[in-house]
Amino acid sequence: MARRTFPRRNNAPSGGTCAPVFARTIKEPGYLQTLRPSRSRGSNELRKIFLQTSIIPSASGSAYLEIPSSSPASKSTLIPPTSSLKITASVQGPKPLPRSVPFSPSLLLTTTVKFAPFATRHRRGYIRDSIERDLGVHLETALRGVIIGERWPKSGVEVVITILEGDEDGWWGDSGNDGSVNRGGWGLLNVLAGCITVASAAITDAGIDCVDVVCGGVAALTRDPAARDKKELVRILDPCPAEHKEIVAACAVGYLASRDEITEIWMKGDVGADPNALVEGATHAAVGSLAVVKEVLLEALQAKFQGPMEGNESGLKRKAQDVEMTG
Amino acid sequence: MAAAASAPPPALTFPRPIFAAVSSHPFLQAHLSSDQSKRTLRANGRTAHEFRTPGINTGSLTHCNGSAVVRLGNTTVVCGVRAEILKEEDIPGTFADPVLTAGGSDDNDDSADDGNEVEAARLLVPNVELSTGSTPSHIPGNAPSTFAQTLITRIRSLLHSTRLLRASDLRILHQPSTNPEDPDVPAETELKGYWVLYLDVFFISIDGNALDASWIAILAALRDTLIPRAYFDEEYEGILCSDSPKEARRLRLRGLPVPSSFAVFEGRQEAEKGDGEDWVLSDPDAFEEAVCRESVTVVVDCASAGKGTNDAMIRRVEKSGGGIVNREELKGLVKRAIDHWSVVEGALSGRA
Repeated sequence: MARRTFPRRNNAPSGGTCAPVFARTIKEPGYLQTLRPSRSRGSNELRKIFLQTSIIPSASGSAYLEIPSSSPASKSTLIPPTSSLKITASVQGPKPLPRSVPFSPSLLLTTTVKFAPFATRHRRGYIRDSIERDLGVHLETALRGVIIGERWPKSGVEVVITILEGDEDGWWGDSGNDGSVNRGGWGLLNVLAGCITVASAAITDAGIDCVDVVCGGVAALTRDPAARDKKELVRILDPCPAEHKEIVAACAVGYLASRDEITEIWMKGDVGADPNALVEGATHAAVGSLAVVKEVLLEALQAKFQGPMEGNESGLKRKAQDVEMTG
Repeated sequence: MAAAASAPPPALTFPRPIFAAVSSHPFLQAHLSSDQSKRTLRANGRTAHEFRTPGINTGSLTHCNGSAVVRLGNTTVVCGVRAEILKEEDIPGTFADPVLTAGGSDDNDDSADDGNEVEAARLLVPNVELSTGSTPSHIPGNAPSTFAQTLITRIRSLLHSTRLLRASDLRILHQPSTNPEDPDVPAETELKGYWVLYLDVFFISIDGNALDASWIAILAALRDTLIPRAYFDEEYEGILCSDSPKEARRLRLRGLPVPSSFAVFEGRQEAEKGDGEDWVLSDPDAFEEAVCRESVTVVVDCASAGKGTNDAMIRRVEKSGGGIVNREELKGLVKRAIDHWSVVEGALSGRA
């Protein structure tokens, strides 16, 4: 694979490097299959979500989202197991636009999504590729419908998303030898849903007025090859693409639960005659993550208001220690 | 300062953050020169000599051979080390066959001059990314800023000048099973490739002292790195790896160089006091870095000095931006760096 070089960075040797090939994966055909993860959750059960806000003090709002992988990591092999989802979001602004920018009656939203080089099984570059730009546009659509932009004329806000670890597009063992598996970027839908949720938490943390808290959710139609009826499709919420041999269709939404509105929808694959069922499943998943977001935001709010109250008692002491300044 | 006795006009009582933003230099000076207690505190509540204790968490990234998350106060860094294989035919440049020059003394090659090998073949690829929304001054979409480029150049030169990694750890060797020239003599060991280590440092949040934080993250990630056993497979005619963790090995680092950064705060002359006092602040945060011009970084290594930290090795001194720190002052800074070394060493070995 020809490798791109990046200006003003340290680049790899010009000949290029390749990822290690593990001997047992090519010498023992059955070995790989023993590592295949499988879904242990119920079809309507979501993965656990860890969310934390205000992780970056210098940003006006920030959040970190982690969805740990549900399949336990095997200790007996060095082959990386299914990755979990780890995303940070940082909101810079709203701040005044530079003079060169033409007048804007509402808040200008800029979203940037970037994968870290170590986010996926294949090393990624430092310059944003089309996938990352695409995700950025999807995220912007999802957020634009929520923010009340008229309250910040002549201002801009940056939402910067860094994906430290992204969901995979399928089980990695299928990529090399088995070309029949549709690898249509299913992981991206999970990444987008995660981005929407974490960006929404960061925006709320930044105190930007929104009509509602938007949350991401994913649902998928899968076909189980082991099942009796091979045509039967199963609808699952929050799919982990590595755990399924065949995903037929999937859908990610940005959903406003209290208004029952959808700001963003991204559907892939062969949906069949009834796309509504899939969309509905995705909104259910979004409601699930909303519960977590709400709780975290409430806790953060309580901590914010309890801090000064406790501080009030020691406030007098603090005042005495304050540094005198005149000028 | 004496004027404070008379009732100050209410217009001048700002909340702390506003005072810090509006007049940052007097703000910090007022903090440092207030001698109401024995210890003068900086605006962030630390004493001038106080470092932030690093919090280190390793092995959290799935797709890395080694990874670390380091927190230095509000500075948070993620470092991932990823090992990939550089094949023999792709090795850039030409140099003497390293296997022969190293003389096979794999375990005891502290003196072997293999730094050139690591550098010439570009086996270490460090990179930093600051544009992650970690600070308002680095907005994504632009090329790496001067600050980012300076930072990564300093890290790279530190990696190479301290000769932290052994080339022998990165070589992939092969001994052919048969010798085509003389079947009775065992064949000579050949170099089949190298491991290339990609060191990607991502800043989640920056609050000053980016160099120390990223270097500690790199050290922690390298210590966490597990390199699979790689061998040349004659049947496959390529390099294969064993996926058994038992056969994998850790990198043996040469020593443990730890940088300590200082910022020099030049007090302004005041009419009543007459002298402008100077302070050398350990481990400056973003606010202090913005106010201070002169900065010093001392890299010390006490790992080779046995148990004690008495005879430490100075691996690097960087100083720029002013003339306050003289020879005497620098001696004191080295002492402070040595004290800080044992704290970082403790945190890296999980004792903190």
